[in-house]
Amino acid sequence: MAVPLGAFIAVSAVLFSIGIAGVLVRRNAVVILMCVELMLNAANLALVAFSRRGGFPDERGSVFVVFVFVVAASEVAVGLAIVLSAYRNRPTVDVDEIHAMKG
Amino acid sequence: MSYDLVGVILFAVLAIGIVGAGIGVVLLDRITASALLMAFTFLNVAGMFVLLGAETIAAFQVLIYVGAITVLILYGVMFTPQRERAYALFFQTQWPWAALVVAPLGIGVALVGLSFRDRATAVPAGGDLDALATSIFRDFAFPFEVASVLLLAAMIGAIVLVRRDD
Repeated sequence: MAVPLGAFIAVSAVLFSIGIAGVLVRRNAVVILMCVELMLNAANLALVAFSRRGGFPDERGSVFVVFVFVVAASEVAVGLAIVLSAYRNRPTVDVDEIHAMKG
Repeated sequence: MSYDLVGVILFAVLAIGIVGAGIGVVLLDRITASALLMAFTFLNVAGMFVLLGAETIAAFQVLIYVGAITVLILYGVMFTPQRERAYALFFQTQWPWAALVVAPLGIGVALVGLSFRDRATAVPAGGDLDALATSIFRDFAFPFEVASVLLLAAMIGAIVLVRRDD
């Protein structure tokens, strides 16, 4: 067991930060969805790492990962459907130009 | 060359792949390149799962993320062609603020994460399929069924949202 648990958690934290940065700075709605997927994947990596190597041996972390897969699949399907229907009303995926609900 | 050293080298390659491809997703202007780099990130995370001894999760990762979600995103890219932009800016104007907030946060959490240590007892060998299946179908049987209802609702919702009224 050469690679310590902390290294996996650090990679997970860096990937999550990249996802947050992408959601905050990109204009394209599809890229924002991709970055949300990156963040979910980083959370999965941390869950599996703690489940396999953490202080308390427990398979439930891996079970949560399976449920995260389900939620991620639903999220990307519905998210892309919303982006597509917004694109149909107004041909843009730039989140700055989709402001019909802005107060 | 011992097995431990191989593990360390594999981990380094996968970590560089994850971070590099993830940065590429955020920084590249071409959406298709971003989507493919996202798939590459998912593949590298699957490799990390194998390193952690969670082969079943790695298989799910390849099937669902690298397979289904990447194809779905690529279709989304295909259906939303961008018109020519008047300016080359693909970042929000707030990007310096975002970098200022996210970089210390990420580095701080990564440093805290590095302090975690492995548990003393050895990890049980033989993969994770048995324990995972027992846990899902015994302790989490009801949430498992609810998840199937969620998938059905998402499927119907996606169809309703993109249906043309004619």
